[in-house]
Amino acid sequence: MKPKIGIYGLSGCWGEQIAILNCEDQLLDIVGAVDIVDFLGGSSVNDTESRLLISFVEGSVANAREEAKLRQVRDRSDLLVAVGSCACFGGISAMDPPKSRPEAIRAVYGKNGPAKSWDIGPHRPLSDFVKVDLAIPGCPMETTEFVRAVSALLNGDVPLMPTYPVCLECKMKEQECLLVVRGLPCAGPVTLAGCGARCPGYNIACIGCRGPVDEANMDSIEKIFQEKELPKEQIKLKLRVFAAPVLDKTEHRG
Amino acid sequence: MTRTITVEHLTRVEGHGGITVVLDGNEISKVDFDVFEGIRLFEGLVRGRTIEDVTQICSRICAICSHGHSVSSLQALENALGVTVTPQTRRLRDLAYQGANIESHALHVFVLALPDLMGHSSVISLAGVVPDAVKMALRLKKLGNTIQEIVGGRAIHPINYVIGGFGRVPSTDELLSLKPQIREGLEDCKRALEVLRTVPVPDFVNEPIRCAAVAPEDEAFFFGNFMEILDGGKRKRIPVGDYRTFTNEHLVSYSHAKHSLYEGRSYMVGSLPRLTLNGDRISGLARQVMDEFLKFPCANIVMNNIAQVVEMVYSVEHALHLIDEMCEAGYGPEKPVPYEVHACSGSAATEVPRGTLFYSYEIDSKGLIASADVITPTAQNLSNAEDQLRATVKQGLGAGASDSTIEQRLAIVARAYDPCISCSVHVMRV
Repeated sequence: MKPKIGIYGLSGCWGEQIAILNCEDQLLDIVGAVDIVDFLGGSSVNDTESRLLISFVEGSVANAREEAKLRQVRDRSDLLVAVGSCACFGGISAMDPPKSRPEAIRAVYGKNGPAKSWDIGPHRPLSDFVKVDLAIPGCPMETTEFVRAVSALLNGDVPLMPTYPVCLECKMKEQECLLVVRGLPCAGPVTLAGCGARCPGYNIACIGCRGPVDEANMDSIEKIFQEKELPKEQIKLKLRVFAAPVLDKTEHRG
Repeated sequence: MTRTITVEHLTRVEGHGGITVVLDGNEISKVDFDVFEGIRLFEGLVRGRTIEDVTQICSRICAICSHGHSVSSLQALENALGVTVTPQTRRLRDLAYQGANIESHALHVFVLALPDLMGHSSVISLAGVVPDAVKMALRLKKLGNTIQEIVGGRAIHPINYVIGGFGRVPSTDELLSLKPQIREGLEDCKRALEVLRTVPVPDFVNEPIRCAAVAPEDEAFFFGNFMEILDGGKRKRIPVGDYRTFTNEHLVSYSHAKHSLYEGRSYMVGSLPRLTLNGDRISGLARQVMDEFLKFPCANIVMNNIAQVVEMVYSVEHALHLIDEMCEAGYGPEKPVPYEVHACSGSAATEVPRGTLFYSYEIDSKGLIASADVITPTAQNLSNAEDQLRATVKQGLGAGASDSTIEQRLAIVARAYDPCISCSVHVMRV
């Protein structure tokens, strides 16, 4: 029997589910190798009970309904994979509002606020609630990393994810340094690699969408920002767009 | 005695939503399109961000329309700053829109909606019966993604769009590499039509649709400065800058998304409205397909799926045309048009696969976002979808259909809008 897998989206933009569907060249092979038994986005008949080998979960947890869903998925899965930066780090919906959260909600939904029983919590990463066996970051995740992960997990292996920064990939491609040479506010030195330094290849400074690299040397990059006459707080602000909850934890630890 | 028909969790759509119908005997007392996707508050998040950063943030409102969000955001910023892009930039953006249209429509029609029309629960089971059709759909989807990736740098959440132009203009080789793929795409479109001719389109609902779309300017079908709405056979024009008088957003208690009404009544945006208003502008194979499959005005919402196929063919043909035009005009690298930061405001509307997308910004003297407003197609369509769902129930009851049949029909009608529910909850106003 083919191994069973499930694909789930919590609050987010559906980027990872679309990215999975964007593996056009591999999709039929994947469907041949596994049984996708639970996937609301793709099927109107779903098996919501049986044991899963792997569940892929995108999006952040924003309310009790989503937390319950996540726990239920965790309970029935041998392996749970967080896909995309919202699932891995809280993502863009968890970035800091300029004012307090209640004020931000009022700004959108008027002074009477949102209706009746709306369940509006802050957005959190999956790992705040359940054990995550593998995290594939990115906004969106790279389809190549997804295909590699599926193939490794099906063969009893766990894929090796990059632990080095985008900066390294950029150097390997011999691209001109946007930060040092052109003085652009690039987050490449402190952002997890795996994208092949995509943005710098288009003359666009890295925006940190894959989240912070472990033990990022923030002091050093702040110094470079200062030398380049860029506001030094900008680097932390940039990283907080995609990974604010994770950075808060690191800061509390440190 | 009251009873309820519910679609608890709509499947094969992007995002989380459901439908609740309350009946008192054969009287309909309530039809709600519930959106229970978690609120993401983009609205509260972009204020104080730089005009350079805001587009990348807003792209994340929606994956599948991320090129549309990016370009619409930039056009609003450019309108505010007084930046006029070059004809080449405009054509490249137009090209990306064709890619988005091909990808999104191929996905919706063949992967999400076709299973309904052929009596299957998913494309996976469909692939067992008509594998060639599914492979053809995946090839078209891939073509759309390849076009978007070459222009925008990434298929989802593009990176290459900047105020005034591009981070790096795609090379001539990259552009020309698309041509043979697009020609193959045209052959796949012809295969898609063969499939379509064998599929009966349900017509269980007959309810007039009030159509609205951006009035196309010059060749670009998806860009313009005026909104048009067809009202009792008459066209009304509203400048895009006055979009708030058009969308009139309001809150409803059961939904995380706001609803829109124009002059007190609902309207629809998307493929069917675009073709209803502007279909006479298209030619080629797309025109033949439109003439074969669609009659206007069309009161069967399920035909929106067919309108998407017509547009998909249009986009494949137009993409080829755009590349030829750019090459004839002397294609090459360009720097983004420079701009000076000053306090200003501006709006823009473009046609993304699901309909009209509005963006509006106020910018302060330091180049920071003072306020932002985004109105997505699905949010505008929710009121109209409720009207159509109500008609579906009414006509189903009139014809003696069972509750479970009505429930299936409700899902088909909701899906015909190709709703992007994740988008709809990110309506912003700060």
